[in-house]
Amino acid sequence: MAASSSAGRILTLCKQFQNVFRISSAINTHYCTASLTKYQPRERPPLAALSLCSPVSAVSQCRALHTTVSRRGLDQFFDHPENWGETNVKSGAPWTAKQLRTKSNEDLHKLWYVLLKEKNMLLTLEQEAKRQRLQMPSPERLKKVSRSMVRVETVVKERETALRLLQTGQEKGRPGAWRRNMFGYAYWYRYKEYAIPWYMNKRYKRKRFFTPKFVQPHIRLRLEKHLREKARSATLQRGTRSKLKEKFPQMKVSAS
Amino acid sequence: MPVSRLLYPLYQLGNPQLRIFRPNWFLTLVRPGTEQPPDTVQFRIPMEMTKCDIKNYLENIYNVPVGAVRTRIQMGSNKKRNHRNQKIKQPDYKVAYVQLAQGQTFNFPDIFPEKDKTPEEGSMEDMEQKFMEDERQRQKLDPRRGGVTEWFGL
Repeated sequence: MAASSSAGRILTLCKQFQNVFRISSAINTHYCTASLTKYQPRERPPLAALSLCSPVSAVSQCRALHTTVSRRGLDQFFDHPENWGETNVKSGAPWTAKQLRTKSNEDLHKLWYVLLKEKNMLLTLEQEAKRQRLQMPSPERLKKVSRSMVRVETVVKERETALRLLQTGQEKGRPGAWRRNMFGYAYWYRYKEYAIPWYMNKRYKRKRFFTPKFVQPHIRLRLEKHLREKARSATLQRGTRSKLKEKFPQMKVSAS
Repeated sequence: MPVSRLLYPLYQLGNPQLRIFRPNWFLTLVRPGTEQPPDTVQFRIPMEMTKCDIKNYLENIYNVPVGAVRTRIQMGSNKKRNHRNQKIKQPDYKVAYVQLAQGQTFNFPDIFPEKDKTPEEGSMEDMEQKFMEDERQRQKLDPRRGGVTEWFGL
């Protein structure tokens, strides 16, 4: 009696386990297909350690498929052990802005962190090579990574600007205005946050955003000086050209 | 520095904590010059990074448990001179000593191991090497002359 009941229990357990296994395997295959369709093998990321494939939004709760061996901790500051001691390490092209514009914002941020880790790794490698007075293997990777980072930054900036233009109509992230200083020069003043309001703020009030009346003649003099210099250089050029023309009448007049 | 300078909103008491979305701080893991305890890792970090930043950076990006962080600023040498005999200052940098938590240890691996550099049989480099060796053999003086120069004698 006891033996039969235990056997039945084991059977039910097995069945449950089977069910669970089936479900998990189905889910796994689904994820794989979702991420594989997104992944483009043609555009190789700059450096190998990249698993940028985001599944569809329904699966966004789970982690994306990892194509590389998961390494953790401080090992990420070093290259793969099979690349140690090589004279040159193969790497792909940097990401172009065109490729990055097709990615979502989340992917761009993920890519930023991948590039950051890569750059840390390369800097570590460079420093170690310097210390041992050896040549760094494939130093062009550093430039590739930094170029990719600049491009990620530009793409994210573009999106931010577009969103800001839609929402607030502001063209610049930091608002500003054209102001004149006390010498009469106009410049772009970028607004800044102050903890104290401007009418109570001594530091702000010390700044002078106006041109006093007695500066007017000096502005005029500055203008005259500039014009005179311009005229003088023009005359000089004309004189040299005419002299050359006298000497070499066949000469063609250059554009400049 | 690829990223333009970010202007954070002025912090006043009670404001939400500032967040960094795309950090542009780069760490360099270096081999410690003087011997360190096995749980200590040495980094070169940007000047504006603080101990808290280091802790957050390593814990959130690298998933490394950090126990304690100590920092110092290393003055770059001012001894070098250029061709005009002007002093050249090497840039300063900040050094961080990170003690790992949870009994983790770290020792700097040898990332430039010695590898045998014999080129493949029949490859371009192999042929070049053989040719060079042959040429060197030809260039050698006749040993029977006992080191007397070529132009001397008949």
